[in-house]
Amino acid sequence: MKVSDVFSYAFGAIRLRKLRAGLTILGVVIGIAAIVALLSISQGLQDSITEQLQTGFATNTLIVSTGRGFGMSAGAMTATESDFKLLVNHTQIIDEIEDVDMSAAVIQKPGCHIRSGERELKLTVVGVNFTKYTNIYSGTFVAEGEEIPLNAENEMVVVGKRVSDPSDNGTLFCDVNENVGIKWTNITSIPIYPYFISRNETYTGRVAAVLKEIGGFGIGPSDFSAYIPISQAQSFFGTDECDTIIVKLENDDEATIESVSEAIDEAFSGQVSVTSSTAVLDIMSSVFSTVELFLAGIAAISLLVAGIGIMNIMIVSLMERTREIGILKALGMKSRTVLLIFLSEAVIVGLMGAAIGIASGWGLAHIVARVFSGGGFMPAGNRAAAAGGMTITPVLTPTVFIGAFAFGVIVSVIFALYPAWRASKLKPVEALRYE
Amino acid sequence: MMNVTISVVETINLRKTYMLGKVPVNALQGVKLKVEKGDFLAILGPSGSGKSTLLNMIGALDKPTEGKVFIEGVDVSTLNDNELADLRRRIGFVFQFFNLIPRLTAKGNVELTMAILGLGKSERRKRAEELLETVGLKERANHKPAELSGGERQRVAIARALANNPKFLLMDEPTGNIDSKTANEVIELVKRLNEEKGVTIIIVTHDQQITSQTKRTVQMLDGLIIKEEVN
Repeated sequence: MKVSDVFSYAFGAIRLRKLRAGLTILGVVIGIAAIVALLSISQGLQDSITEQLQTGFATNTLIVSTGRGFGMSAGAMTATESDFKLLVNHTQIIDEIEDVDMSAAVIQKPGCHIRSGERELKLTVVGVNFTKYTNIYSGTFVAEGEEIPLNAENEMVVVGKRVSDPSDNGTLFCDVNENVGIKWTNITSIPIYPYFISRNETYTGRVAAVLKEIGGFGIGPSDFSAYIPISQAQSFFGTDECDTIIVKLENDDEATIESVSEAIDEAFSGQVSVTSSTAVLDIMSSVFSTVELFLAGIAAISLLVAGIGIMNIMIVSLMERTREIGILKALGMKSRTVLLIFLSEAVIVGLMGAAIGIASGWGLAHIVARVFSGGGFMPAGNRAAAAGGMTITPVLTPTVFIGAFAFGVIVSVIFALYPAWRASKLKPVEALRYE
Repeated sequence: MMNVTISVVETINLRKTYMLGKVPVNALQGVKLKVEKGDFLAILGPSGSGKSTLLNMIGALDKPTEGKVFIEGVDVSTLNDNELADLRRRIGFVFQFFNLIPRLTAKGNVELTMAILGLGKSERRKRAEELLETVGLKERANHKPAELSGGERQRVAIARALANNPKFLLMDEPTGNIDSKTANEVIELVKRLNEEKGVTIIIVTHDQQITSQTKRTVQMLDGLIIKEEVN
């Protein structure tokens, strides 16, 4: 019997019992849709995080920290707990290293306050060299309208978009050329006694520029920070110690990244940790593949249930069609062909289930992504703020597409093997006698 | 070759014992039968006499416990499942309860046997139409079995049985389930096939109307042929 005839015979048998076939297919649809939705959302999430990470952390930059300061460091981390302090003028040492374009020290003080009129915002104040920072973060450290002053005067402040317009509704907290009060609480602990000396330090700055909206989170310029010149930060915070030094390389070759990382490490006798964006991305992608495997595993359970459904239905159908199988065998159909007819029915169920499953999983992913991105439940003003400006676009990779298809069909066929085998083994005389 | 003509069917000392629960039933107890090409044979006998068992053996649906069945000189007991299936493709079965596939049309049912043989679509369609015309069902070709009368269904079954140019037709009480008027039509059709087209036919029946038309009749009782007469 020709393969096309086998399939059309199988298709006819399926069409005869539409409701039953529909429910069987539904089982496969749910399993496949769950897999596709979960994987495409997680892929979209990964892409979105990667993209945002890269806007703040280009592949041609390295981040040097003392190892205590920078949480995401890994891989290249060698620093141990010690009294070593990373200083602002350490950039001079780094600048000497071959292939280093420039380096910029960053002083970060979370928990500062900025005051405009009667209102106050709590935020992180970041001390940076405006010239270098603009160069390194040429994509994100960009002012809206006004230029960022390159030869910054001490009282100049550059604020993130969400500092200027916290609710994203045009009600400004502060604008260019307005004065703002900057305050931080200097807490000094006294050894021996459990006492603290706490003193509020303040100065008045002038908003020189507002950054363009950056969106997202991550490393580098942020919508939620205020930036002051590094020299001002040194005197205001009373320290020469910096949190990180951002290093811009001549290029982003792997060899360059490695040699510069090693050179920096050596220059500070192994007391700093050097992180490259490639290393961070590597860790992220390995975390994501574990998560994806876990999600796919959960979804696969539903497909397993669908498979058992297929088996169940096919055994029932086998009983009902015993006589039909007897007729087919009496007409000279080979056992192999009977087996193929039953398996083709499973293949058709699997194919239809997979196709509908992929489509509905894809749709589901978009709905979930929308909800995740804050589209549905929050008032317009808070959307970006609540989700950190993050939007997820589900991504269906060819691997997931083909894999889901194959998985749907293979599961269907595997669970059909036993009923199909039983059908093929029926003896014609007994099958014909079956009532 | 010594044998100039090979019998279409020949059984030698055919015995079949099967278990009915725990009781062994000797359905056939040494049947010797020869059917030549162009024969028109009726097998008569009360129920339980072994007619149907004999038919299953001749139709290669079942294997004997002892003895041999030769179909065109081939010993059926030496064939494996696949070869038996191949052999059955050249045997035309007509059953008492029609045994048509309910979801296929008359034409679809006739085509099915040819599809099993591996014939192409256009060839199948053409031949199915011809065969349905032969049995007088040209107008009913696109009806499903449920929409046909008993006689019509049996004629579809005959058309189906003829589709693959069988070595012989095996009919198991073909008129047992239809009224006498339509039975007459079926008998006429079968007789015509034998006379005009030379189709070898073996019929198991109770029907006196049929036995009066056949060339030869054998009587069975308790798994043995007790009487044989040529009309």
